Amino acid sequence: MNWNLQAGPFVIRLPVIDQDGDALYGLLKDPDASAHIPKPPMYASVQSLDELRRASMKFKSREGACWLVECHSGDVDALAELLARVTLDSINWMLNSARLQWEVSPSVEVDELETIIGAIEAFCFNELGLHRLEVALLPGSTRHEAFLDQLGYQYEGCLPAQLEFDEQWRDLNLYARLATDAMVEAPTPL
Amino acid sequence: MKFTPTLKFNGGRLRPLEATDRDALFVVYQQPELPGQRPLEQPEQLDRMIELSVQMAATQRGMMWAIELGDDNSGYQLLGMASAYDWQPSLLKVALRIDGLPRLTMADRAAALTACINFMAEKYHLRSVAYAWIQGQSDAIPAMLESIGFQRSVVMRDGWRLGQDDYCDQTLYHHILPATTAEVRL
Repeated sequence: MNWNLQAGPFVIRLPVIDQDGDALYGLLKDPDASAHIPKPPMYASVQSLDELRRASMKFKSREGACWLVECHSGDVDALAELLARVTLDSINWMLNSARLQWEVSPSVEVDELETIIGAIEAFCFNELGLHRLEVALLPGSTRHEAFLDQLGYQYEGCLPAQLEFDEQWRDLNLYARLATDAMVEAPTPL
Repeated sequence: MKFTPTLKFNGGRLRPLEATDRDALFVVYQQPELPGQRPLEQPEQLDRMIELSVQMAATQRGMMWAIELGDDNSGYQLLGMASAYDWQPSLLKVALRIDGLPRLTMADRAAALTACINFMAEKYHLRSVAYAWIQGQSDAIPAMLESIGFQRSVVMRDGWRLGQDDYCDQTLYHHILPATTAEVRL
């Protein structure tokens, strides 16, 4: 199965542990990239390298996957910059469900994220055979709520006191999209 | 070392599973409560679950109890099972579930659940306890949950799988316990 995808100018690919640590750090050191999910700040590239190693272990055990997103527009500087990391986590092969999470550069527009997530959703529904994709957001994440609305996710409720972060108990708003919500076209494999 | 304690409640007790419970549990699982779940075919299928109950408790991944009604004088009868699963000790979270025969009333279930919650809250400082009600299960379960402090939080569309391409909704109820301050010992 080819997990690397192309959607318009975006290359959506699995990470290469030894090569992508610095670029991922470049994306995640901006707190705005992940302000919608509870996550400690990133201070050094060794943290992003560690996250890539853990993601690789989850991928090998079929528990999850993560994709890095680049834009191949012909601009050499843009090539070295990651626009987003999209993570598929908590895959439940019995229930055919999984949780999706993204960290995106503030420069990414709604329609661009729609293209990227649309390709990943199509892969999850059509290739992996998943039926349900969930997204959990910290309440008040206005920009990402707008993303989810545009992408057709439905709000399902609030999961209370899911974790303690910054000395506060955090709720998470749960959204989901089903394979049957709308026809999802298969992405173009790389 | 026993990680799963015996817990008394009004009208019965919860106790760790034992190898000799196999046949009584087989009777319970002839009437599965979860939509889509089929009756077990062989009692031997439960041997592994009983072994696993010890391993799961030892590694803090889950805990299972036999639910028995009765008392110390007249004896006890096994009528169901309580399970703690999706246990995340570092996040102070767990999910609970009860499977039981029709003789196990909603009052019995509420008492058994309360005993589980009280034990796990005290021993492991749990903050969040979840219970999943699957569309098609007894309508009395949500009222029973709300009677002991659970509140409906999320309706997961097609969150439960019934068959190859057949799904139904799963409603999550949460019981949030008071936060405790971690005790630091030097």
